[in-house]
Amino acid sequence: MASSQSVKRVVKEVKPILSLDREEARQRVLNLYKAWHRQLSYIVKQYDIPKNQEQCRQKLREQFTKYDEIKDIRLIDMLVIKGQMELKEVVNMWKQKGHIMTYFKDTVEPKPQDFLSKFLSGKD
Amino acid sequence: MIVDMLRVTLNKVLNGAKLCPKHIYIATRAQSGEVKKPEKVEVFIDDKPVHVEPGTTILQAAAMVGIEIPRFCYHERLAVAGNCRMCLVEVEKSPKPVAACAMPVMKGWRIKTDSELTRRAREGIMEFLLVNHPLDCPICDQGGECDLQDQSMAFGSDRSRFTDIDFSGKRAVEDKDIGPLIKTIMTRCIHCTRCIRFASEVAGVDDLGTTGRGNDMQVGTYIEKMFLSELSGNVIDLCPVGALTSKPYSFTARPWEIRKVDSIDVLDAIGSNIIVSTRTGEVMRIMPRVNEEINEEWLSDKSRFSYDGLKRQRLVTPMLRDCNGELKPVDWEAALLTVAKVVKNAGPAIGAIAGGLADAEVLVAVKDLLNKLGSEALCTEHTFPLDGSGTDLRSSYLLNNKIAGAEEADVVLLVGTNPRFEAPLLNSRLRKAWIHNELEVASIGPKIDLRYEYQHLGNDPALLQQILCGQHEFSKKLISAKKPLIIVGSETLERSDGAGVLGTVQALAATCTGANKDWKVLNILHKVASQVAALDIGYIPGVDKIRDNSNLKVLLLIGADECSIEKSDLPADCFIIYQGHHGDYGASIADAILPGAAYTEKQATYVNTEGRAQETLVAVTPPGRAREDWKIIRALSEIVEAKLPYDNLNEIHVRIKELQDFYMTDAISRASPTMAKCVQAVLKQKQSKY
Repeated sequence: MASSQSVKRVVKEVKPILSLDREEARQRVLNLYKAWHRQLSYIVKQYDIPKNQEQCRQKLREQFTKYDEIKDIRLIDMLVIKGQMELKEVVNMWKQKGHIMTYFKDTVEPKPQDFLSKFLSGKD
Repeated sequence: MIVDMLRVTLNKVLNGAKLCPKHIYIATRAQSGEVKKPEKVEVFIDDKPVHVEPGTTILQAAAMVGIEIPRFCYHERLAVAGNCRMCLVEVEKSPKPVAACAMPVMKGWRIKTDSELTRRAREGIMEFLLVNHPLDCPICDQGGECDLQDQSMAFGSDRSRFTDIDFSGKRAVEDKDIGPLIKTIMTRCIHCTRCIRFASEVAGVDDLGTTGRGNDMQVGTYIEKMFLSELSGNVIDLCPVGALTSKPYSFTARPWEIRKVDSIDVLDAIGSNIIVSTRTGEVMRIMPRVNEEINEEWLSDKSRFSYDGLKRQRLVTPMLRDCNGELKPVDWEAALLTVAKVVKNAGPAIGAIAGGLADAEVLVAVKDLLNKLGSEALCTEHTFPLDGSGTDLRSSYLLNNKIAGAEEADVVLLVGTNPRFEAPLLNSRLRKAWIHNELEVASIGPKIDLRYEYQHLGNDPALLQQILCGQHEFSKKLISAKKPLIIVGSETLERSDGAGVLGTVQALAATCTGANKDWKVLNILHKVASQVAALDIGYIPGVDKIRDNSNLKVLLLIGADECSIEKSDLPADCFIIYQGHHGDYGASIADAILPGAAYTEKQATYVNTEGRAQETLVAVTPPGRAREDWKIIRALSEIVEAKLPYDNLNEIHVRIKELQDFYMTDAISRASPTMAKCVQAVLKQKQSKY
């Protein structure tokens, strides 16, 4: 009894960022996703990136599914806010071509994993 | 208590009791014990009471309660000079301040280390010192680690009274040229005489001294000559100011921009503890680290000054010999693939020779790899007799009595060794014992200059036999000695009659056991850092096994540069792989070169001549494409499909531990006195023709 009360108090003390429940948070995520999705065709055109809309769609989905594990509503809200900020930067052309291309990490070489490739690359 | 004890015995005697020897023994022992422990004296240092042995100086007593009195001339390991006067302190009821380093305490003294009088005395001394000290700290190499600088900040006056109204300038002294290692700027000298005392007491080279008096006093060598000592570099550390600085290090770095890494020296078998100072990925200098059991706080010149060799003649990339017979740089992939192909084709017809600088990790990796390939031909470059108990017993190839133990010896017999150059820090211990302990030294071997007196018995190994049989006059001394030591140089044992020498020496060690059971008479002094680890791991000393193998296909040299094997000793089609860090002899005969790391560039284990395992740490990264040695073997093993089961240092350390446990099964014996194997060796010796 006492313990459940203390839990309740803790829950009460947590201040919501935007959403009050999971459903609301989910709706916000979907809205953000749709907004990005609608923007994709413009991104390909305006930023003149060497990717087509299909590839961008895949990347967008990948960026969202990366956070599948997150269940905390406050965290979800925070990520949504960050995603909105990103989107705003894209829409207003505050970003440049390179910034968009970093989502794709074309030039990043994977770190050597096994002993031999570590040895040959000289990295530990 | 003595009285009681005596009275008991006396009463007993008077009462007609038998005076058995045991009682006398107890009585005498009690007596001598009492003599050694006289009553302690109580003194008060800044009102803190402390009990000290009589004869303790004020400075030592203060150190016991954690108060450090400033000093320039005083040094724990040197005789007391008492001439800098920096350690003046006030003693209650004494009319003048007294020099703490030279004054033994008296009962009930109240010493004030921070009183007004003491502080004024220090300030005055500081002022006198600075009157004739140049203010060139910004261009002085000692700047930032200078005792004078620090102490003038802490105890000096806050303003100068030095107004040179006559423009006569400060006192200036001509610089001396005392060799290529030590730079002298004698104007900076404050006449602490630490260098003089070090030279005469520790190094035994009485070249330094003072001329003139008062303001005209100069420290120097009287006539212009080199300060020719194997320990000369230590005066650089001893000098509290910038008068003696390191010539190679001069103007290269500042102490505050340097990164210091603790490490181990591998240039002799002593394994001195060192600090490697680095900056911008370069070794700037090497300094000793205190380890009472090994190097105290000294370091030999070779270890201190040879670091610039780490930047020259380095192997920086893998190389393969092409069809024109020239070594061509290649990348790791190509080198490893080529080498792996050759190794695979050779199968068990592969051998390895470990040089003097190989670490335990690479030795283990090579051994595991070769064993996996079905070969047992693992040799070390430096040989050791395999007769008698050979290298099965760890104590037959160690400096059993430890380096610090040499100080307690009363009779030392050196057999075919020149400790002054093979192990300068062991020699300094012997010299210390010679000075303070009335050590008697005798030597069999070439006549050498050890910087202390010794009896030169001759240059004939047959002398050992004579001593053993009691025909030589020295044998009496050796047998009657309480703590005799026999130090055998590993080079003697490399001779063709090395086995005979070792056998005789072992027999000799068995005859003179000394008074103490834990005292170990027989000591082997190795010359190279890797030898003990290699023998521990199970390498065969000497390259005979490689030389005799007529169908050897591949030879792996692990830093073997001592010309122990030549191309003509090997079958014509033998493929030589050299793995090491310097382009020396081994690399010149190699068909493939795999560049490794030097001791400042890897975390590796070395076992010194007394069997102490110590670890070096990474100070700088290996140059170019060089890699840590055991990793090269590990990578090669993967390509030849005999993968070794360790990927990182921890795993290979576990493997070394396994091996050690295995090899130390005999070395329960390690703890057991040298006797067991001496007996074994004597039996062997009887069959030997020597």
